[in-house]
Amino acid sequence: MGKKRKHSETAAVTEVNKEDSAAERPKRTLLGWKDKIEEKKESDSVVGFRNKEKVLVTCSRRISFRYRHLMLNVVSLLPHCKKDNKVESKDSKGATLNELVELKGCSSCLFFECRKGRDLYLWMAKCPNGPSVKFLVNAVHTMEELKLTGNHLKGSRPILTFSTNFDKDPHWKLLKEMIMQIFGSPKDHRKSKPYHDHIFVFSIIDDHVWFRNYQISCPHTGTQKIDRSDLEKMTLVEVGPRFCLNPIKIFGGSFGGPTLYENPFYVSPNQIRALEKKQKAGKYAKKIKAKTRRKMHELENPLQVDELAHMWNE
Amino acid sequence: MLDEENINDLGMEDPDNEVIDSEPESEEDEDVKLAEPSKTAVNNRDGLLDKLGDISWPENVGWIHKLSVDIDREQEVDVNDDLTRELAFYTQALEGTRQAFLEFQSMGIPFLRPSDYYAEMVKSDTHMEKVKGRLLAEKRKIEESEERRKARENKKIAKEVQAQKLKERAKQKKEEIESVKKWRKNRQHSGFAGGDKDGDLDFAFEDGKAFERSSKKQPGVAPGDRSGGKAGKGGGRRGMKGPDKNRKNREFRNSKFGYGGRKGPNKQNTSETTSDIRGFNGNFSGRKRKR
Repeated sequence: MGKKRKHSETAAVTEVNKEDSAAERPKRTLLGWKDKIEEKKESDSVVGFRNKEKVLVTCSRRISFRYRHLMLNVVSLLPHCKKDNKVESKDSKGATLNELVELKGCSSCLFFECRKGRDLYLWMAKCPNGPSVKFLVNAVHTMEELKLTGNHLKGSRPILTFSTNFDKDPHWKLLKEMIMQIFGSPKDHRKSKPYHDHIFVFSIIDDHVWFRNYQISCPHTGTQKIDRSDLEKMTLVEVGPRFCLNPIKIFGGSFGGPTLYENPFYVSPNQIRALEKKQKAGKYAKKIKAKTRRKMHELENPLQVDELAHMWNE
Repeated sequence: MLDEENINDLGMEDPDNEVIDSEPESEEDEDVKLAEPSKTAVNNRDGLLDKLGDISWPENVGWIHKLSVDIDREQEVDVNDDLTRELAFYTQALEGTRQAFLEFQSMGIPFLRPSDYYAEMVKSDTHMEKVKGRLLAEKRKIEESEERRKARENKKIAKEVQAQKLKERAKQKKEEIESVKKWRKNRQHSGFAGGDKDGDLDFAFEDGKAFERSSKKQPGVAPGDRSGGKAGKGGGRRGMKGPDKNRKNREFRNSKFGYGGRKGPNKQNTSETTSDIRGFNGNFSGRKRKR
């Protein structure tokens, strides 16, 4: 199996042979793919790049069921991730997480933090000294929902699409790079499967990053060729999960460090709830005031005694 | 870690007024934008670009590693309009797939899953069964409601058709009777001259149905006949068995004490007597009044 081979000089020797034979061999499913691997190996060895990204996925304690399912869905989507136990820490979260990531030998981390059982914050961090981002997660729909009917191979490499407004600002550019590295499966990963049958959509609407995952269903004849009409007939079915990320802050270090970017439009959910309560409290205060006002009014203007008031008392 | 929480709170104290002014919606799941951006927000562009340079992969990495496609979205999408938003995502994905597939094809990489390639899927088979069940149930519900609606429509139409038919028949009947009357009148007028005025008669029977006596063997009861029908006539006189002993007895008693009278409130009016109100006009004092 050539997959685990380090890109070394031997690749250069074999490349000549493989180029000739690859063209002649018929394209059967597995064999044909193996050939292609050899061919691609040579392009790798020319550049010398290999994606060794590994993502550590953890959550905090007291995470609720919906967010836990979301985390499990994310784990199943990324073949290059490692799921770890719940992280319990009141303070010094950053240090704990950094240690954990180093221990597991991962290069990035997705940390799902659930506060008050209601708000989910997602930390995305590149680990040794990379930047980290904290998001507030909204509009969560997991893969278990029956309305999301698509399905795809577990571990196949996704196609990533970004909307062009990721190139508008430096913080979006940074986010795009981080997302591409974390959510894109490395080529030739042990657990990755061939064929590309699903696609991730990241787009920015209203300063939020929206995520969707679609299955590609394309009618084809069995050969690896499609033409215009097939492309037209292609449909996408949503697989899930769905979520919407609201960036809060970007830090220069991993889980801490100098703040590089703050979202000026961000309002924390705690503040929203506090505001609601204040408004409701206002209602009660007004009621009390109205009552006392009424009482004062009655005291000041006593009613005339009514002669007929006690007529029917016996 | 604590720092950023504090900074967050401090940073947001200033625009507190703006928060109240902006009338946030009170859903927990939706979040709220401040009316104007907080003045104290940090945006260290150079720092961001530095970090970007740190983490990026080298420039000449092939596309096959990144697999990322940038799609331009033509028009602005309103966040709250679910349908257009999802449509925008869908079109973005579709466009991305098309571009990626063309790229794959030019690179010669297999990208279409053959129908005989079975491997572990991201959703289990049991889950997909549930999905299938739900889809089928929905389809069935829709079909049933369609059928019910069609049946209702058909019933309505059928009822209308039926009403039409009945009206037709009534009209026909009336016309036939009218034509017979006219024929009779004509015959009266022209002094029962035979043979000439059969035109009407013929006309009325154009549809081929001759006036047939109904094929029933039993003669029907004439309307003015108030005897007991079959029971009164033949049945009373035939056998002299059990019930006939009673009959003889009855006759004897009748002759002795007088006929007791027919039982029960039978109908007594005929067509002449219904409109005969001689007894009622002006003679109210003479009759026994019902209290």
